[in-house]
Amino acid sequence: MTTHTSVAFATAKKNRVPLAEIDVRDSGVAKKLNRVLPVPTGRVARVSSFNSAL
Amino acid sequence: MTGPLVPFREIVLKVHSRCDLACDHCYIYEHADQSWRTRPKAISDDAMSWTALRLAEHAKTHDLPSVSVILHGGEPLLAGPARLRRVCEELTRALAGVAALDLRIHTNGLQLGPRYLDLFAEYGVKVGISLDGDRAANDRHRRFADGRSSHPLVLKAVELLRQDRYRALDLGLLCTIDIANDPVTVYDALSALEPPRIDFLLPHATWDDPPPRPEGATTAYADWLLAVFDRWDADGRPMPVRLFESVFSTLHGGPSLTESLGLVPTDLIVVETDGTLEQVDSLKSAYEGAAATGFDVFSHTLDEVAAHPGVRARQLGVAGLGETCRRCPVVRSCGGGLYTHRYRSTPDTGTRPDRSDHSGRSGKSDRSDADARAEGTGGHTGGFDNPSVYCADLEALIRGIESRTAAASVPPVLTDPGELVAAQQELTRSLLAELHVELGGRGGAEWQQAWELASAVEERSDGLDAVLTHPYTRSWLVDRVAALRAERPGAVDGALALSAYVAAAVVRGGLDLPVRVRGTGGVLHLPTLGTLRIPRPDGTGASTAHGTGAAGAAEEFGTVGPFGEGGAFEAEVRPVEEGFLVRTATAELRIGRPAEATEHWRPVHRLGLPGGPVLALDDLDPYRDCFGVPVHPGLRPAETAAWAGRLTAAWELLHPALPERAEAAAGALSTVTPLLAAAPLTAHQPVATTGAHGLGALGLPFAAGVAELALALLRGLRRARLRALTEVTDLYAYDGEWLRPAPWQEAPVPLSELLAGAYERVGLAVYGGPTAMARGIRLDQARRALDTLEDAPELTVGGKSLLAALRKETERG
Repeated sequence: MTTHTSVAFATAKKNRVPLAEIDVRDSGVAKKLNRVLPVPTGRVARVSSFNSAL
Repeated sequence: MTGPLVPFREIVLKVHSRCDLACDHCYIYEHADQSWRTRPKAISDDAMSWTALRLAEHAKTHDLPSVSVILHGGEPLLAGPARLRRVCEELTRALAGVAALDLRIHTNGLQLGPRYLDLFAEYGVKVGISLDGDRAANDRHRRFADGRSSHPLVLKAVELLRQDRYRALDLGLLCTIDIANDPVTVYDALSALEPPRIDFLLPHATWDDPPPRPEGATTAYADWLLAVFDRWDADGRPMPVRLFESVFSTLHGGPSLTESLGLVPTDLIVVETDGTLEQVDSLKSAYEGAAATGFDVFSHTLDEVAAHPGVRARQLGVAGLGETCRRCPVVRSCGGGLYTHRYRSTPDTGTRPDRSDHSGRSGKSDRSDADARAEGTGGHTGGFDNPSVYCADLEALIRGIESRTAAASVPPVLTDPGELVAAQQELTRSLLAELHVELGGRGGAEWQQAWELASAVEERSDGLDAVLTHPYTRSWLVDRVAALRAERPGAVDGALALSAYVAAAVVRGGLDLPVRVRGTGGVLHLPTLGTLRIPRPDGTGASTAHGTGAAGAAEEFGTVGPFGEGGAFEAEVRPVEEGFLVRTATAELRIGRPAEATEHWRPVHRLGLPGGPVLALDDLDPYRDCFGVPVHPGLRPAETAAWAGRLTAAWELLHPALPERAEAAAGALSTVTPLLAAAPLTAHQPVATTGAHGLGALGLPFAAGVAELALALLRGLRRARLRALTEVTDLYAYDGEWLRPAPWQEAPVPLSELLAGAYERVGLAVYGGPTAMARGIRLDQARRALDTLEDAPELTVGGKSLLAALRKETERG
């Protein structure tokens, strides 16, 4: 029994990060996860936003 | 004032209160507040130590992962290297083991030399420099007291900071706008220095002291910034510009990146050189004492300051804004602008009664806002409850950036069904990686073996993809991550079911790999394939007979509870030819043709729809119960055949009406699960309350006739696509902040419900529906909802694109 996937899927698969290398701490991945998981409270890092400094 | 206390994550530490420049636009020395005259020049050792102590105490109390400390002034380098070293030492020591310390300094650059930069390299202090552009632009304001130019010295500092040994410390350049300067020349001068980041600041101004506007140009500052934007864009956006990046972020549903824009609650506090704690110091532009809190680091905790009404007033988001701002379509991006820029000392006469000052009254809780709305007023008040003095500029800037970039930045998942499938798959893979991290080794060798095998299978075949694409794999992953985070009993055991998914992947991939799996309650479920009942040593435990009654098949064959429940047993699954072999301690079973039922094996039934997708009729998966109504416990063969017939007939009714795009959406449909009742009427199903499944699953009422099934199928396809989109992109933000009337019910609803209702009704009206009259009513309701949604501040670029597509769809009705 073998599985066949679509062309679009095969293209996406070629360019993706291997499963074991997905960094869930990366902000892009964390944003993705937070859409479907309850957002963990508390330990969320924020960027500095003070207007008069960078 | 209500709501939880927002901890401070950013401390502006004034290490020196004087400056070696005499910029005539400086808010510290040239604006309303003159408190600098009474402050000690340099921060004292006591103030330094107490600040470090208070910050560490605060970070510990609130379990903060990191805190930023910005060394500021005056000119902070005037504090001298020895004092700055003590500051760095104290802070580093106090925060060690408590929270990561992000140390920054913002300087005019005049004194910046190796003796400072070596110290900053030692403590990882990152450096930002003020520079207003080319020499002519910079010298318009940034001069020494005797009128000399500061420009050459600043360029020397920038050059030094760009050297390899210090480059990692470079934060970039901060430029205060003067519209008398040419925007392109200013940008080019800054860009030529190749800074890692630039930000442009609107000069501080209030309604009492408005910014200069030549010939009354109402959007002179937006025009200036958009000229910079166009140059930066044409230049290939060589570095981030914080102001522009913030607008991009909010247009797409993210947070603002600067306190001068957006609705993110302020988490910033200022410590003066004498240890007094103040609110954000741009308030010094408003009036004498505007930033004062009455607290200091010696006698007060940071929590006490966090509860100060003036601080709280800037943490209320939409509720903290006046009525005019709350009704504005761009409010999510501008957030009313910098708090200081909203100040006016006296109200406009003849418009509205005097309102709150910055002591922090909540606009949301103030019923006079509703009165103002009803009266159509919205004039200026005394205090901060006003639009920004830059209101017209901010709106023009945000709309200008949106109009220039929106078409090219619509998330591809909205326009390409293949992208949606790929994004959904990436989400499921990320969830599996998250489960691995959440387990943190608690799964032991059993998990590790399955995890490593999953990676190997993914590399060698498409089998794992096929299993991860299965919508209920997502349900399992979400459930397990939530269980681990909540430390629910059995959370780890349930996660160990990964081996069953990997076994199914190995079988689907035809790989010659044995997989150790865990079954429960005498039953082994291989997701996407079927359920195996393991015979007991005495020969019982197999069944081919099918009784009567709704739960007949399940009762006879055995049902699979969520993984982790029931008595566990071990088995080995190994692919053989077209099927697979299962060995347990007591039995060996060969499933030669996985699509065919046997005495022990119940496969997931598959149904090819004419001209449509092949569907799995899944009444077996232990995680299929995620539709908000009870699922059928298991169909008998005759019931499966009858249901397949009704589904096919329903599809044939629907198919000719579906346009290409809807067909593509139907193409993503992979799995249908029989329900014991129709899905709830409300279209809005928060993930948290209904469970989560991946793209491609529909729950349809088993008992429904063909026409009803066609309608449920259409409704389900619409809901499934919208839900799938919201799982991988932001269509809106700040949902629930505003309530609006819905044409189909009396109570007002949040945007998500209005959008979902409109989305579903457009589909039902255009592509199906019982009668022409019903279709007409739905179409009218949908159009009215779309009218209401127009200009809703919650909508992102993606949300607006979806709205436009819906409008187009209604034209077919």
